[in-house]
Amino acid sequence: MNNPNNMLKKLLKRWELFLVVFLILEIAVFGAANPKFLNPTKLMTSVVNYISVCIISLFVTMVMITGGIDIQAPSIIGLTSIVIGVLWSDAGMNIWVAVLLATLLAALCGALSGFFVAYCGVQPMVVTLGGSFLYSGLALLISSLSATPAYQGISGFPGKNDAGKYIDFRWLGKGDICGIPVQIIIYVLLIALCMWILHRTKYGERLFLIGVNPGAAEYSGINTRMVTMSTYILSAVSAALVGILLTANLNSAKYNVGSGYTMGIITAVVLGGTLNTGGKGSILGTVLASLILCILRYGLPLCFNVSTQNLDLPIGIILVLVILGREIAGQHMLQKWFKRRKTH
Amino acid sequence: MAENQTGMPPRLEVRGIRKAFGQNVVLKGIDMCIKPGEVLSLIGGNGAGKSTLMKIIMGIYTCDEGEIFVDGKPAKLGKPSASLAAGIYMVPQEPLLFPNMTVLENILMGFTENKGELKKRLLGHMADMGLDINLQRKASTLSIAEQQLIELLRGLMRNARTLILDEPTSALTFGEVQSLFKVMRDLKEKGIGMIYITHRLNEVFEISTDVAIMRDGVITLQGPVTNFTKEMLIQGLLPTDSSAQAEKKAYQPVPYETLKPVMQVRNLTGYGFADISFDLYPGEILGIAGVVGAGRTELISTIFGRDKVLGGTVTLDGQDITGHSTKKVLKEGLNFVPEDRHNHGLFKIRSISSNTTSALLGTGEVGKVNMNSKAQNAISQKYVDDFRTKIVSLDDLIGSLSGGNQQKVVIARALSTSPKVVILDEPTRGIDAAARGDVYNIIRQLKDAGVAVLMVSSDIEEVVELSDRALTVYQGRINGEFQHDEISQDVLTSTSFGIKQERKMQ
Amino acid sequence: MNAVKNLFKARWMSSFIFLILLFAITGIAAPSFLNYSNIIGCFNSSTMYTLLAVGIAFVIMTGEIDVSIGATLGLTAAMTGLLAQNGGNIWTMLIVCVSVGAVIGLINGVGVAYFGVPSLIFTLGTNSVIRGLIFLLTDGRTVENFGGAISSYGNMTIGLDITLYYAIAVVIVIIAHLVLTKTHKGKYIIAVGDNAGGARLVGISVLGTKLIAYVLCGLFAGLGGFVFASKYGQVMTVAGNGYEMTAIAACVLGGISLSGGLGNIIGAAIGAVIMSSISRLLVFIGLPPTYDNTITGVMLIVIVVVDALTQRRSIEQARRKRLLSRTANHAEGGAVK
Repeated sequence: MNNPNNMLKKLLKRWELFLVVFLILEIAVFGAANPKFLNPTKLMTSVVNYISVCIISLFVTMVMITGGIDIQAPSIIGLTSIVIGVLWSDAGMNIWVAVLLATLLAALCGALSGFFVAYCGVQPMVVTLGGSFLYSGLALLISSLSATPAYQGISGFPGKNDAGKYIDFRWLGKGDICGIPVQIIIYVLLIALCMWILHRTKYGERLFLIGVNPGAAEYSGINTRMVTMSTYILSAVSAALVGILLTANLNSAKYNVGSGYTMGIITAVVLGGTLNTGGKGSILGTVLASLILCILRYGLPLCFNVSTQNLDLPIGIILVLVILGREIAGQHMLQKWFKRRKTH
Repeated sequence: MAENQTGMPPRLEVRGIRKAFGQNVVLKGIDMCIKPGEVLSLIGGNGAGKSTLMKIIMGIYTCDEGEIFVDGKPAKLGKPSASLAAGIYMVPQEPLLFPNMTVLENILMGFTENKGELKKRLLGHMADMGLDINLQRKASTLSIAEQQLIELLRGLMRNARTLILDEPTSALTFGEVQSLFKVMRDLKEKGIGMIYITHRLNEVFEISTDVAIMRDGVITLQGPVTNFTKEMLIQGLLPTDSSAQAEKKAYQPVPYETLKPVMQVRNLTGYGFADISFDLYPGEILGIAGVVGAGRTELISTIFGRDKVLGGTVTLDGQDITGHSTKKVLKEGLNFVPEDRHNHGLFKIRSISSNTTSALLGTGEVGKVNMNSKAQNAISQKYVDDFRTKIVSLDDLIGSLSGGNQQKVVIARALSTSPKVVILDEPTRGIDAAARGDVYNIIRQLKDAGVAVLMVSSDIEEVVELSDRALTVYQGRINGEFQHDEISQDVLTSTSFGIKQERKMQ
Repeated sequence: MNAVKNLFKARWMSSFIFLILLFAITGIAAPSFLNYSNIIGCFNSSTMYTLLAVGIAFVIMTGEIDVSIGATLGLTAAMTGLLAQNGGNIWTMLIVCVSVGAVIGLINGVGVAYFGVPSLIFTLGTNSVIRGLIFLLTDGRTVENFGGAISSYGNMTIGLDITLYYAIAVVIVIIAHLVLTKTHKGKYIIAVGDNAGGARLVGISVLGTKLIAYVLCGLFAGLGGFVFASKYGQVMTVAGNGYEMTAIAACVLGGISLSGGLGNIIGAAIGAVIMSSISRLLVFIGLPPTYDNTITGVMLIVIVVVDALTQRRSIEQARRKRLLSRTANHAEGGAVK
């Protein structure tokens, strides 16, 4: 007897496989079109340029696995950046103290939104929409505390020695270890961390269970509210980290440095195969989807002369096609599956 | 075509309806007929197949075999709109109103005729029925009884000639039931045929002209209500074969004198039940019988920390656990098999081992921080072996298993925390006979292992077969307590249907 | 009397009172605000948001979402601009805007209703595609220097300082409100969002209704694009970016529940006025416009949290009352015996 369940599982597993194939094809096509594309430094830069989406999507994956959504993270990037800038430049704090305080503030922001979602039962989309207004507004307000005009951005962060080497704070954004940018190393470490959290720990198991069936999770003695709230804190902290990296990289603390990443983050998570109703998804899928996006953004202009400003169209078309394809294939498989069950 | 004495063809007739879900045959050839002005009471336990039959009539499911006739003509009812067009309307047990709309909007939703005309007709129906409901009220402010009347009006406005009422009185007060019956009598006069699904035998004699009893997908008894007495109906609800009895091992009495109760419930009051007191001893199976809506599920889920306690106490091993959270109660040694497997039991798209060990996440048994998948699989495998759960691999999604095997996994979860007390709510609902036998064995093994088992079931047969002692709950209160030798299907059925006088408890 | 009572019970009424309170507070802080032209200015400036909010309100009421309306507005605005540069007729522009909007809505509707793709995800995809189309169409340049009739309509008033566009928008809102509340089909939209199972049971096509809602939503976004082009006289490639969030916020402020089935068009229109007035009001209170987003965010969160808590409480109370009546019922039944 052919077990229908195994087929279903294969289908599920196939998604990451599909992403891998897609990624390889993508690299092959771009590489064939323009050999310059395969320059490893440039490939890494393409990831660094999209690091916000890469990092935050890892943690938004966890939010979405519990059945939520987080569209406020980009505004927290800007908030962190400006708080670091103001605390360092105008309040004269040590840069690392500023970084710590900014991260704590971000965690608090995440906790606030998470509290409303988990304990008050407000839809996550609305809460984080309100959060995106609130935290970007706060960022702007804080920027007005600074002597530097908001549009200019606070610059002059410490960390470039006389030899032109990046050290200290700016090392985070600009430095490298054996030619590999620090940002990439942090990303790789975070991938490992997230894979461990989501797929190996009991906490990760709880996230999945809550997403699949919050009622049954409650009956299993899981504190669904607390766990749900924690995912928003994690995602806010990841946004804070991105804020730190961007500030160090650009040598500029600006209130709106994170704007425009919302759609990219959601796209990466969804394309990675995470179910937006929760309960299913993987860090690997999100990573692969993020890389696919990074490479599209890098390869299309380089190899096919697509304007760097007009990357939305091809990426959008791919997203729509992929989602539709998956939905149609899924329905088809499901029908087959049901037929199989009936004929038993 | 069979016609009745008045020369009118039956409003609705079904012949030879069969329906199976997978291997589970739910309906095994149903013949039923409702004539104009007839009220057919349909009685049967959970899983008897009533709701499947009604869903076939409403076009929500299609039957595998069988024919349906409407007003004497063969009808093809594949979707709800076809059934509506054929003049069939079902008042669901939980009314499907639009909560944010007014009564008027709710009733007229889906009509395309002139609104003035419709309203006139509606007022006509309401006057006929002697109803006085403010049409501008929001549906969310209506009581269940009022919502049911709105559903009835919806059906009448659609010129329904056959009405199906699915346990309309389960959430109604005495007065509300009487006004519903008045409306039903009026409809009867008008020649409308009705199928009345109920658990309350008293009501059968009060309102219906005919009665049918369903058991395990067949109609065991059918005919004019005047041909029967309550006792005969109860007999019809009982199994025809007594093979189950024969299999039963020699009963080992529980030595109550030597035991100390492990759980004591004193005057517990909450939403849906009041003033509940009982003791539960280790190594006994205490059955709680009662009809749907009697407050049993509310009682036990409140003990499990799912709702607020309004008064009274629960102690477990001398420790007060009244109003503790589910997480705490689990740690304190109580676990629960919920009635609603889909909403409270299963993680459908998770693996069998994940499902089995979900309640252990709060303990160290499946790892401190990291998930110990070896331990997880070992625990799951042990239960799979013990319970003879039919699986291919522990990594398979639980959604792919049959109902009976799913239930075994949910029971395994409840036992995984090594509880002193296990509460089972409808442990065999919707599962096939073979799995049922396995579940019974599991419950007996628990008893032998000294676990205290509290089992709620609307399947009286089940309570009789398993219980060392039994309680009956009627309208939120305990109205009977029976020792093992006093338990019989007869007495439990009549007490839980509220027919027998309340027993005085000391 | 009853009608007045019902009026005050309506959900949009609390948004309206909220708007008046906002005006009143501003007036207390800065009496110079309270004159006709300032207040009517608040309404006039909300035209685009009103159109977007009303459009998306249809979709939200069915329980879905559409985050592509900002891009749709940008696309139709760019098309209008290009037509104007080439001396196009104003009616052509209008027809193009409306039909392009409707087609986008249709595509969204098919994807969401018929293919069953979660609405947020699908419209996120179409959002990117439309943004890309804008870029292709304009070659990545700002469409500007288009004169002619269209620009002159932008600030045209019809008397009493009411702009032509706002007047038209108000008429559209009223028509849409009447269609939604007074016609059979109009009510389907709310019914589907309120209780999809119940809607199916009374023979309403859930899929068809959602499709119609999306088409309307796209159509209104197209109109918004026309207004945008006319009002600003130039269209950047990022035109309309983030407007979808403002429109969603306007709906929430106007008492429309994001889970569907609750709220109405007038509420959305009032919400749009609130959203677009805040920056103006801040100027009068003496706060710099930097407070804009903070106040919007706080308002949004407070309103939805309060709304969610009160709703949950009323549902919980109803359930408990029902359960309590069962045990009370026994006493009654016992007395009969």
